[in-house]
Amino acid sequence: MKPDIKKWLAPGALLAATMCAVVFLWSTPFLWMLIASFRPDAGGGLGMASLFPDFTPTLQSYRYAIEDGYWPLWFLNSTILVTGTLVVQLVTISLAGYAFARIRFPGKEAIFYIFLLQLMLAPPVLIVPNLTTLVHLGLYDSLIGVMAPYWGSAFGTFLMRQTFRTIPKDFEEAAIIDGASWWQVLRYVLIPLSLPGLTAFSIVSVVYHWNEFLWPLMVINDPDKMVLTVGLVSFAQGAEGASDWGLIAAGTLFIMAPLFIAFTAFQRQFVNSFMSSGVK
Amino acid sequence: MFIRSAVGALCAGLIASSAVAAERIEFMFPAPVQGKLSREMQKLVKEFNSSQDGVEVVGVFTGSYDDTKVKSQAAAEAGKPPAVVLMSANFATELAMNDLIVPIKELAGDTDLDGLMQEFWPAVRPNAYFNGDVYSIPFQNSTPILYYNKEHFKEAGITKAPETWAEWVDAAKKLTKPEGERWGIMMPSNYDYNGWLVQALTMANGGQFYNNVYPGEIFYDHASTQGALKFWRDFAHQHKAMPTGVTNSKQVSTSFFSGKASMIVLSTGALTFVRENAKFDYDVAFMPRNIRNSVPIGGASLVSFKGTTDAQKKGAWEFISWLTSPEKIGHWSRFTGYFAPRQTAYDLPEMKKFTAEHPDALRAVEQLAYAGPWIATYNTVAVRKAVEDEMQALLSDPELTFREAAARAQKNADAVLAPYAEQTALTLK
Repeated sequence: MKPDIKKWLAPGALLAATMCAVVFLWSTPFLWMLIASFRPDAGGGLGMASLFPDFTPTLQSYRYAIEDGYWPLWFLNSTILVTGTLVVQLVTISLAGYAFARIRFPGKEAIFYIFLLQLMLAPPVLIVPNLTTLVHLGLYDSLIGVMAPYWGSAFGTFLMRQTFRTIPKDFEEAAIIDGASWWQVLRYVLIPLSLPGLTAFSIVSVVYHWNEFLWPLMVINDPDKMVLTVGLVSFAQGAEGASDWGLIAAGTLFIMAPLFIAFTAFQRQFVNSFMSSGVK
Repeated sequence: MFIRSAVGALCAGLIASSAVAAERIEFMFPAPVQGKLSREMQKLVKEFNSSQDGVEVVGVFTGSYDDTKVKSQAAAEAGKPPAVVLMSANFATELAMNDLIVPIKELAGDTDLDGLMQEFWPAVRPNAYFNGDVYSIPFQNSTPILYYNKEHFKEAGITKAPETWAEWVDAAKKLTKPEGERWGIMMPSNYDYNGWLVQALTMANGGQFYNNVYPGEIFYDHASTQGALKFWRDFAHQHKAMPTGVTNSKQVSTSFFSGKASMIVLSTGALTFVRENAKFDYDVAFMPRNIRNSVPIGGASLVSFKGTTDAQKKGAWEFISWLTSPEKIGHWSRFTGYFAPRQTAYDLPEMKKFTAEHPDALRAVEQLAYAGPWIATYNTVAVRKAVEDEMQALLSDPELTFREAAARAQKNADAVLAPYAEQTALTLK
């Protein structure tokens, strides 16, 4: 029987096929990593670069990763780091965003643009000045020291300013007539209406700080305060010789697991928050 | 305020209550070869700590060689100088020049340092000295070395490892299979490795690469370096025996293990890693010569940053002496594949037994007779990068000529060196 070519060439099917191809291409690195983590002799056995699992899978790399790393400690430290950063950020960006969106004061625009300039600075430039400040504050070699420079976020302030500005003034005026103070307006009117914006910012912040390497490496000396990324590099990196790819893949999967699970579980909410924080 | 002073009093009480307060010092170390090493290093630190109670060393992992430099320098500038750092051997000159590290004699008390240095291989000594003073104690050292797949050699009818550049090219062409199925030769051309190998080729071509007496001069636009640039690029574009573009060290070792590259140039520091992963008959050989046999030293040495207390300095020296003792330095060499920079390590029975079982571990040591110091100038990384950028361009762009590349590398490096030259060689001192 001849296959129905016309049916296969229907625009819908073609689009679906293209999309599948794109998805496959886009997810190649992840697929490779997944396969490499189960590959025996991942130090570079034959067909190391292959995407097809032509071997009997083994959990050896995971075993080594568990044996070599102090995972519970690193997870705990990374969790403290991202939570501590985010909680303070949410407070500061809401207040700063509110100031720039609603309060009238001289030089507002100029100050706002100077604030935004922060976004142009490449973080490595700030390593020495920031470290010097931390030493003076007695925060060197502490997790708070890693968090502190991020407590004021230009990106977050900008995002919240835009979000607040999209909220009609009528809501606030109604509240003010009822006798609400500015912080009650912020707390009970503006914040609840800006949740999508705050969620979007939280995602960006958590992902960024969870994956960050250079700054925690600079601040932390004590092995007990090591975070996940530095921990992984400490047992899996190889610059002069080579690396055990299986071990790196397994370790990387450990690191991304919590974020991956959270995103899969709350996918719809996340997507919605991005959609509504942009439009509306 | 009250809480803070209360906590302070509590801490002071705790410290006072322990009979002997150990001096706490920080030891920063990178993991340049494989992560297993950083775990082993922590074990050594623990061993040292339990061997005595005067000093407590905190082992701090610092990433790659370059990250180590950034981290220790930033910490020192911020007022927290580390007492001991395992630093890329060629950075000591620049750190000493910028007054960031102290001469070892400030730590060592009345130890005869020049006498101690005599126990180290002659080739590793120049990188340890600056202005007549010892600024670093070598700990893990390497040279580039040629690893080759003996099974591929047999199959291609080649009977011995290439000794000259002509034989090297000939072997690479014979070993290459078309369509990228197998490369005759691969060498890492990522930053850091790249400059080290250009220096190795330049030295094998009879050159000096840089002025190893005066750290403000570099010889990129000279025949020996030009020849090295041309030789490397020709493997890729003319002989088609090497992949074009930038290849990093991981791709090189992975290709070797999977049989996709027959000869590779890597650090001898990767020897243990290769021994554990190569599932075929391999061997190591000297870097082939054009004019002479010669390679630069690589690896890392122990330095101490300026601004530590006298007690920390004393502790730092105690730790450095322990770590570079023939027993420990030999243990580290066997664990990693780096050669032991201290000659006396090779007189110990454990080392003799090990080298009898693994004669490939001796190749780098034999090559030391022909080795010289590693590029160390004013602003080393920027000077090194000037030639690395051009070498990467040569490997990617078949139209670029080696003369243009060498001239541009020279121009850019000279611009980096200019302020130093103005203040030193061009001025009355």
